[in-house]
Parts: sequence; structure tokens; C-alpha cells
Amino acid sequence: MAAEKVAIVIPAYNESTAIKEVIAKLKKALKLAQINYQVIVVDDGSKDDTAKLAQAAGAHVISHILNTGSGGATATGLSYAQQNGFTIAATMDGDGQHAAEDVIKGVELVEKCRCDLLIGSRLIENSGMSKVKVLGNRGLSFVTYLLFGINVTDSQSGMRIFSKDALDRLKWKTSGYEFCSEMLWRAKQQGLRIKEYPIKAIYTDYSISKGQSNWNALNIIKYLLQRRIMELFGE
Amino acid sequence: MSRYVILVILNTPLIIAGILKATVSYKLKQSSRRRFIVRVTLWLSILASLIFVEPLYSFLFSKNLTQTEPLSLFDVMQITGIILVLYIANQAFIKADFLERRVQDLHQELSIRLSNNSPKQ
Repeated sequence: MAAEKVAIVIPAYNESTAIKEVIAKLKKALKLAQINYQVIVVDDGSKDDTAKLAQAAGAHVISHILNTGSGGATATGLSYAQQNGFTIAATMDGDGQHAAEDVIKGVELVEKCRCDLLIGSRLIENSGMSKVKVLGNRGLSFVTYLLFGINVTDSQSGMRIFSKDALDRLKWKTSGYEFCSEMLWRAKQQGLRIKEYPIKAIYTDYSISKGQSNWNALNIIKYLLQRRIMELFGE
Repeated sequence: MSRYVILVILNTPLIIAGILKATVSYKLKQSSRRRFIVRVTLWLSILASLIFVEPLYSFLFSKNLTQTEPLSLFDVMQITGIILVLYIANQAFIKADFLERRVQDLHQELSIRLSNNSPKQ
């Protein structure tokens, strides 16, 4: 594993409350696991001190001039990883919802399972997610299946592990939260192998307050439908 | 000249342009085969419906399934207008999507380059 160069990408927007602790925990766990890593925080035009705090915590910070959305920030981080010769990349949320141990588990698994895109699913095992959120996430996973024919349990998970092949080939067009489903579609189009593994979700008052509203699911569905239809007629 | 013939004559150039655009984009590998088939099928079905609109109207009228008036010249212009708007809207949507993608790529690349140049702590 030490031979692999691993990029941990954290898209962050106004995460000054949690980002320092997230990076500290991550660095500690990665050091213990003897992984050759770099933590990359993509500050998506935050209005608070997210970028400063992330840099002080030892992350490489890429600052977006404009707020683009989670999909745009993730794309920037992965593009940086691809340009700088990383062999594996992982994405995780900046609100402390994901455990550092799950990143390490995913990085180890992505090699063993011979897959290109590994999704950390919060819905394979009971992760303590509220019933309303379970319903919203299952609903979006079902929509992803209907529109793109990809059957996964947690299509909206922010924890994803990418092989070198996926880093080189995976590109998506949407920049909001809908990118989670679109990314799976692009991976399928590129013939990349998609798998899931169970992760836990850490719910604090802060991570709950930062989470998406179920109403946003309607927006996501609208954008996915629009993209699906447009691609039938567009370039 | 029959109004139905005018309808076909007015709209055929638009339909041919639509098919040509789809073909060029496919041949230049800018769109997939599947998308090419969908686009060509769409334009051909519009053409087919314009060509067969008169026999269809006569059939429906003879079977007493419709009571509407035959096509007027105003209707011809309206239908042509709708097809023209469809064509322009599609092209505008494609261009807007392409430009949006370019701006996103530019923003992404600019952010990465600026981060590489920023002093490390």
C-alpha cells in the first residue's frame, strides 16, 4: 500500500467548524496505516475561514473563486489528483460525517476487489441514519436505477474511492449534488467497474445541520432528468 | 399549390439541417451512435408526420373522427414556426451547455494552477 500514492479529496463549503478536526483525524489514521497520502481540500468559495483552517491543518488547499457546488469541487480535487500522478483517490465529506477508518478500508478494498469506483454505502448496514433520510436516499438510488440502470444502495454517498483508471477517464457535467448519480452513469458508460462497501455515518448536530434537505431530492431528480433527455438530442 | 405541399416545402430545409447537424456531429465523434440515431429518428418522424398529414386528415374526416377545418395557410406558417423554434432551441441549448462546460473547466484549471502557485505554510 505504501507504493500507492493516495489523494484524499474533501470538497468543503463553509466547514470552518469541523474541517480542522476532520483533517487531523484523517492524517492520524493514514499515518498509522502507513499510507502515502495527500489531503486535498477544495474550498468551494466559502465565506468563512475554511481554507485558512484547512491549510493550517496541513492540507493542500485549492480555492474556488466562485461557489460551484459539491460536484464542481469534487471534479477539481480529482482533476488535481489526476494531474499530479496519484494512483488512488478518495472523496469524503468535510462535515465529519465520515470516519477516517472507512477511507482506509476503502483504499485497501479498491485494490483487492479489482474495481474502479468503490462507493461507501451508508445503507448496507444500519448506520444510524434517520428514517426520513433513508427514504430520501433510497428514493434517489431508485431514480438512479430507473434513469441509468445502475443498481446501488446509496447513490448519494460522498465517500467514494477511485482507481487510477477511474481518475483518468471519469468526467461528469453537473456541478451540484446530482453529480453523485451522474458520476455512476459516466462510470457505466466508460465501462468502469462499480462496487459498494458498507460504511458508518457519524451524525452530530453539526453534520445533521449541514446535510441535504429531502426537498433537494426533487431538484436532483429534475437535473438528472434534464441531463438524460438533453443527452439524447444534444452533443 | 396545395397548402400541404407548402407545409412540406417550408419545413424540409429545417429537417435536412437537423439531420445534417446530427450526422456531422456523429462523424466527427462528438456524439454517440445512439444519440445520432435518436436525433435522426426524431427529425424523420417530424418529416413523415408532415408528409402524411393530408391522407391522415382525409382518413379521419371520412371516418367522422374529426370535425376540424382543413389546414389553412396560417396553420402552415404556425407549424413551420413551431418547428423552427424547436430547431433553434435545441441548438441554443447545446451551445449553452458547451459554454457552461468550458467555463467550469476554466474555473477548475485556474483554481488548481493558483493553488500550485500559492505559498505553502
